[in-house]
Amino acid sequence: MDFQNLANALTLTNLALALFGVVAGTIIGSIPGLSATMAVAVLVPITFSMEPASALILLGAIYTGAIYGGAYSAILLNTPGTPSAIATTFDGYPMAKRGDGDLAVAIACYASVAGGLIGAAALLLLAPPLSTVALAFGPVEYLWLSVFGLSLIASLSTGNLLKGLAGGALGMLLSCVGVAEISADIRLTFGSSTMIGGIEVVGALIGLYCIPVLIDMVSTPERHLKVEEGGRAVRFREGAAIAWKSRVNLLRSSIIGTVVGILPGAGGSVAGLVAYSEAKRTARPGQKFGEGEPDGIMATEAANNATVGGGFIPTLVLGIPGTPPDAVILGALLVQGVRTGPTLFDGGGSIVYTFIFGLFIATVLMLPTGLLIGRYAYKTIVTIPKTILVPAVGFMTIIGTFAIRNSISDIVIMIGLGTVGWVLSRFGFAASPIVLGLILGPIAEQGFVQAWIIGEATGNLPGMFFGRPISLAIIAFTLLSLVYPAIQSRRAKRSLATKAEAND
Amino acid sequence: MFNLKFAKTLVVASAVSIAAATSALAFPDKAVEYIIPFGPGGESDISARFQQSFFKDKFGQDLVVSYKPGGGGAVGWAQLNSMATDGYTIMGTNLPHIVIQPAQKDVGYTTEDIRNFYMFHYTPDAIVVTADSPYQTLDDLIADAKANPGGVTMSGSGKATANHLAQIRFDKMAGIKTAYVPFKGTGASSTAMLGKQVKAQWGYTTVGAAQGDAVRLLAVAMEERHPLFPDVPTFKELGYEMVGGAYRGMAVPKDTPEEIVKRLSDMFGEINADEAFRKQMLDGGFALLDVDAAGMEAFMAARKAEYLEAASEAGLLN
Amino acid sequence: MTERAPAAARKDVGTLIIASLFIVLGLLTLQDVTTYSDTDSVVFPRFVAYALIVCSALVILASWLRPNPANGFGSGDWWRRVLLVATMLVCCFVMPAAGFLPATAIAFAGGLIAARHEGWSVKTALVFAVSGVVIMAAFYALFRYPLGVPLP
Repeated sequence: MDFQNLANALTLTNLALALFGVVAGTIIGSIPGLSATMAVAVLVPITFSMEPASALILLGAIYTGAIYGGAYSAILLNTPGTPSAIATTFDGYPMAKRGDGDLAVAIACYASVAGGLIGAAALLLLAPPLSTVALAFGPVEYLWLSVFGLSLIASLSTGNLLKGLAGGALGMLLSCVGVAEISADIRLTFGSSTMIGGIEVVGALIGLYCIPVLIDMVSTPERHLKVEEGGRAVRFREGAAIAWKSRVNLLRSSIIGTVVGILPGAGGSVAGLVAYSEAKRTARPGQKFGEGEPDGIMATEAANNATVGGGFIPTLVLGIPGTPPDAVILGALLVQGVRTGPTLFDGGGSIVYTFIFGLFIATVLMLPTGLLIGRYAYKTIVTIPKTILVPAVGFMTIIGTFAIRNSISDIVIMIGLGTVGWVLSRFGFAASPIVLGLILGPIAEQGFVQAWIIGEATGNLPGMFFGRPISLAIIAFTLLSLVYPAIQSRRAKRSLATKAEAND
Repeated sequence: MFNLKFAKTLVVASAVSIAAATSALAFPDKAVEYIIPFGPGGESDISARFQQSFFKDKFGQDLVVSYKPGGGGAVGWAQLNSMATDGYTIMGTNLPHIVIQPAQKDVGYTTEDIRNFYMFHYTPDAIVVTADSPYQTLDDLIADAKANPGGVTMSGSGKATANHLAQIRFDKMAGIKTAYVPFKGTGASSTAMLGKQVKAQWGYTTVGAAQGDAVRLLAVAMEERHPLFPDVPTFKELGYEMVGGAYRGMAVPKDTPEEIVKRLSDMFGEINADEAFRKQMLDGGFALLDVDAAGMEAFMAARKAEYLEAASEAGLLN
Repeated sequence: MTERAPAAARKDVGTLIIASLFIVLGLLTLQDVTTYSDTDSVVFPRFVAYALIVCSALVILASWLRPNPANGFGSGDWWRRVLLVATMLVCCFVMPAAGFLPATAIAFAGGLIAARHEGWSVKTALVFAVSGVVIMAAFYALFRYPLGVPLP
């Protein structure tokens, strides 16, 4: 790592590529259905004719941008543009609803840049040692990690725990539909051949989050988001102040994001959920997560952008993709003739370091472009008349869902799930537990089945499930976040009398 | 050039396919869509990407790779025959998937529904261990498995897959019993092996190419040694009749005119014959294969018999 | 389901119906898992089905004892909600035959009509129709060409 590599990254071409990548990525990521994986896959053929380092910079920039772009639709439309932004909806949409959408977009940008920089720093300085994390995580660890993620259902469904758990179970059942990932049975299709492909996660997200918003939008003449007129031009600064105040949260969430990004079996969605859960557990008194708390957005957005740098660690060091977009990038590198692995960092190191500096530059460029595009996106959503907003968003859900795997049945499933989700939400069954079940179910199932087979083969089932140090640590954290809200609410009740008016 | 079979097709063909057939002379005069029935980033995607740039160089048109994942490929294959039959839509096919899936359950297509026109490579089965594994040779692994029946854990990609069938067949040949741990894809199964969650991996030669010095291959299921691993013996050398792996090819919808199928088969044969392409594939750990449209029937029949035998012995077909 | 008022009445009928349907779904799953050939694929859905049945039974119990009057469909125009969802579904079913743009035009028009509370004049209708065409064409072009999505 020397300054020659930095200079290589700073050529005019590379700067232009990084800028283009970030802008294109942000826009693509903000459209529901267009994920970072797809954005990267589309660009792969273009990179064949480029220098390997430039190609990597372009792909890395578009990836970073897409992960951030997912926050826009999460905040403004309650629809995670990419699975990474699921937890952004928890507080982002309530903020937008009450008229703070511009502030939410700004802090999401600050958090994303912070997370991206910390992830990239880990990639630059600690990649070879950190890559061992990917190998230390076995099936049992993934099982307990998913259980930890599922424990968030408890804290998300205050007052409605049973309905939350039922929703989580429903989500896990939905995740079983189709051909089983690791055993070859066809499950829960009830004879329908269109269901063999299962329920596509991003399509389900669009349905469960966006369709209810659309249905509610048409049923009353009220405005989509509350707008306050006048004197609100300086929210970038206000956002920066909030972000600075929460620097501990940003740092912690970025570290969580980096580590989860390193794990090949878990991606940005899990990173965001884990970071959100931790931010909620360590909340200051008076913070109301789930009702528009800026710290909730920051935790998720810092974590999911940190997975970009984190995910490249196993990709480049071990040749094992950390996240799905990394798998595509790895493929592009292979076609380019670049061999990944430990030697990439020693021998042909210059490409790697040029790329890492390129990632830094792209992340920094995301600050001005992100704020600018975000402001524009916010303005569009608030000023556009509802009459045109509803069909335009509806059209986007259709085209976006189709694009995921070019399937019309996925659109039907999306609309069906969305309508059912709307009815359910009207009776207290929220969408988020279903989504958590859908996303974490397969991780839990695979971890469990694999751990069981290995445990049985080695004749030590209890040791397999409860005898490994990392597992025990995750179990401890799970118990802590399950018990902590109870303690917290008791403490809050006690202090309620004294601080009745300081609640806001 | 208008042989009898083609004339017959013409008689029954619709106006659309007549137009398509006539333009076969100038085929391709627009981009060809190449659908991969899996997500991006896997071996099917990577090998298609290798073909992509050579296609453009040789035939002047784009080969556009798109993805239609779902059901382990079944979603794409079930829809293949309802797609345009002008030769501008082709789909990647994989063995043993297209044999095992329809044999197990109703997945919306049968093996005979898939009209393969070229099989261009395979990833040979291989047993992979970490560089510091106590298994130096295949015999070490067999000895351990004999001493601890069912105690040797081996990761692999999915069930009823090439890895799984290889494990079943090898266990039978060597008279051992190993514990097969299915993972989601080769990447995850390699990670488990590298992290020592399992003792060995049923993988492919591509794993050896990607991991380099971090791993050791104990044996590869090829007729002759892979040029990338001159020191790794074949199973045959060690006395086990195992040659094979996961085969990949391309198919067109059933009703595509014979002439166009022939043309496509020739085109991909030409790519396969390119020295630079061969080198790229070999360096990636792939093994090349040349089964064209004419030889497809015999090839598929042999594979089908082999896979169905292994699968039914393992009780995968009930 | 189309009447609105009773939801706020004595019993939270909606919750009871939903939870009962969940139990039925759980039972169907338990039936389905008996057809799997591999025990590895049985464990998880069976466990989850039991969890779903138990949770839903408890939901029924809790809702019976303490119904939540806030649950219900609330006020709002049913014809608008139905129109929105119905046109989107119609769009999917005609898409293979009609092609992408004509099909989505149906959904777009449905959404426009459903979302318009202020009434129509010839001018507004024209303005919205034109902007609709522009939006659809722009996104169609974006997906079809740079992103290479094979839209039908």
